[in-house]
Amino acid sequence: MDYKYIEQLLVRYWKAETSIEEEDILRAFFSQQDIPAALKQYQPLFTCQQEDADIKLGDDFDERILALTEDTEVKPVKARTISLQQQLRPLFKAAAVIAIIFSVGGALQHPWDASWNDPRIDYANSYIQQIDTADTIVPMQAENITDAPADSSKAVNETLHKE
Amino acid sequence: MKKISFRNDILPLKNLLYRLALRITLDPAEAEDVVQETMIKVWNRRDSWDTIDNIEAFCTTTCRNLSLDKTRRMGRQEASLDSVATDPEDHSSASNPEEQAMQRDRVALIRQLIDRLPEKQRCVMQLRDIEGKSYKDIATLLDISEEQVKVNIFRARQAIKQQFKKTENYGL
Repeated sequence: MDYKYIEQLLVRYWKAETSIEEEDILRAFFSQQDIPAALKQYQPLFTCQQEDADIKLGDDFDERILALTEDTEVKPVKARTISLQQQLRPLFKAAAVIAIIFSVGGALQHPWDASWNDPRIDYANSYIQQIDTADTIVPMQAENITDAPADSSKAVNETLHKE
Repeated sequence: MKKISFRNDILPLKNLLYRLALRITLDPAEAEDVVQETMIKVWNRRDSWDTIDNIEAFCTTTCRNLSLDKTRRMGRQEASLDSVATDPEDHSSASNPEEQAMQRDRVALIRQLIDRLPEKQRCVMQLRDIEGKSYKDIATLLDISEEQVKVNIFRARQAIKQQFKKTENYGL
């Protein structure tokens, strides 16, 4: 690439003889990555120019200024035409909300356990019945069971004492 | 003459005014205040907008005057050029991040250099090299002659060039 042109532009730039377009060319040239060593030292100047041109105020600034200026003026109120449906819309919404509340509330009044038994309770009930029947049997068995070992232990003791 | 709308004609000047105010005050918060004051001042003159032939020039002048007032009130201490000039740079290794950091340092150095020019040169340079305005427009915006604009640009660029020369002689 021919850097003569850029060098010439630079000479004229320092003398304030370049046009705006020529200065744009210089900025474009120095925004490249590969700059010959002889010209490299001037790169920061043009980078700085480009960077500083990007400095901006935040978006909230507009709102702040408009709030302090244009928005303080009383604006003429414009009449809007509203259809009947639009007018009644809030009412429909309220009715829908009330309907939802009532239906949910009504459902909660009748919990579902009327037709549904807890299997644990069923199981517990059946167990109680088993125990009831078992109570009548167990003492009889117990007598039988306790008699026999008592006798045999006695017999063992007696034989031990005899010896 | 067309009707001036605050929202469409004056508010969009905010960034240009902000950059100019920043160049004069060198303080982002102060510069933002200046732009806000400028906008309100211009707004309060809305009854006489029709009599102003160039609203942009009017805004720029207001902004510049407010910035100068602010700077005077802040009593900006003028640091000497020598304090920023030529810190020794090591070119032995040109690894990429290091090179980038150095490049950033150099850009910051140039910025300081511009910020330490006399106020008029700084404003003219700002409007020319950063905003890309013609000499004629700058003359209108700052209310000086085109010849004056040219002289100031010339001096500002020469000052920067001298600094480059100085750095070069130190053998970078």
